[in-house]
Amino acid sequence: MSEVIVVTSGKGGVGKSTTTANLGVGLAMRGKKVVLIDTDTGLRNLDLLLGLENRIMYDLIDVVEGRVEIKKALVRHKKYENLQLLPTSQVKDKSAVNPADLMALCDELRKEYDFVIIDCPAGIEQGFQTAIAGADTAIVVTMPEVSAVRDADKIIGELGRSEKDNIKLIINRIRPAMVDSGEMMDMDDINDILAIKCIGQVPDDIKVVTSANRGEPVVGDNDSQAGKAYENIVGRLLGEDIPFMEFEKEGFFKKLMKAFKLSKD
Amino acid sequence: MSRDLVTIKGGKDGFRLLVDSSASMEEIEAEIKKKLDENPGFFPEGTKFELEVADLDRSVKKGINQILSQRGLGVELSVKKDPPPATDEQSQMPPQYFIQHDGNVEAQEMTVVEHTVRGGEEVTSQGSVLVMGNVNPGAQIIAGGSIDVRGTCRGMVHAGAWGDISAVVIADRLMPTQIRIANMIARSPDIMEKSDFAERAYIKDGQIIIEPIER
Repeated sequence: MSEVIVVTSGKGGVGKSTTTANLGVGLAMRGKKVVLIDTDTGLRNLDLLLGLENRIMYDLIDVVEGRVEIKKALVRHKKYENLQLLPTSQVKDKSAVNPADLMALCDELRKEYDFVIIDCPAGIEQGFQTAIAGADTAIVVTMPEVSAVRDADKIIGELGRSEKDNIKLIINRIRPAMVDSGEMMDMDDINDILAIKCIGQVPDDIKVVTSANRGEPVVGDNDSQAGKAYENIVGRLLGEDIPFMEFEKEGFFKKLMKAFKLSKD
Repeated sequence: MSRDLVTIKGGKDGFRLLVDSSASMEEIEAEIKKKLDENPGFFPEGTKFELEVADLDRSVKKGINQILSQRGLGVELSVKKDPPPATDEQSQMPPQYFIQHDGNVEAQEMTVVEHTVRGGEEVTSQGSVLVMGNVNPGAQIIAGGSIDVRGTCRGMVHAGAWGDISAVVIADRLMPTQIRIANMIARSPDIMEKSDFAERAYIKDGQIIIEPIER
């Protein structure tokens, strides 16, 4: 059974593309056939996170306008053969694709792939409406921050109005120490307001940034907490029952050890 | 039960004008004018009404159009014969109950919202509103009557929006950004406290008072 998933958030900068890339790689590592579609036309960057920019020949717009076949536009991942990316155009804008086009495209890809994951642009305008059109499941990414939660709430409402009822939540960029000291919204507060099934809690981790710059998603990295969190999300998407992990907090002692280079971390 | 010849209903997408097709044009005209004059200023110029015309006479349609356009209001005709299908917002048949108002018993409609009202959503009703879920920050509930939230209320709630100072707001956890009752406004404290019991807000001695209640 193949599944079309849209990763969305409303607010920008919460980690939609990062999540898309990590889920894509994570699922591919487990042997699933995955295709990622970037729908952030004009602000394309999913290819960068996957380190595939230099291999792009055609894009989503070429496919939608019938200039090339889908197969020709798909870019294969360097490491994982069963992971493909359909990049979008950096020069066109969101009006170049409409919801019907994307729906048809998803239905086509669904035949061949286990997972079609759509990276949605920020906002609730046409780009969003297009991105969600063909999806069975929506993953809403948010951060423990009032504005991000407010926007996620709005997005969940919009998804409901578009009759997308299978909605899951990922809380990204959590800083456990700040949550503990009460300076950041805690997970219960967020779940209380948004009231949808949470499938992931991902800590803020500098490895996410460094690995993005290298074009290698953090998901395979066992030294990284965020990497582990993404791996858990992949498992939950595949129906496994995995408890949420406890975050390691960097306490005073550990910092001291680090200062004296006693800790390898 | 005597049914109103003309009913104006507030919905998510604007107002609907329901007209009893058995009434004469004069009766309808008088009734519409009465309704509009009852709440001057509530329907600003340019407000559009959706009129269900399936069983209306052409002359009546034209008449209604004239009355409204004289006041700078617009009409959109819709041909739905059945009552509009239940949106998520409103249940199919809103339960009706009666309230005593200046000695007159009048039918009031209650809007039941069977889900959480999320940020950016707005529920408007001439009557009372019952929310079977939360009212999230950024959401708005505007009711002619009272508002009851069976959940946490964090949005903006306006009870008695057309001047009914006896309207109340009740919630299992009442922590809204603002409570408005009739023409009074109370805002939340700048540092919001978590509330652990049901509370009721009402007007007493010209102030909005909040007190705990048993449920």
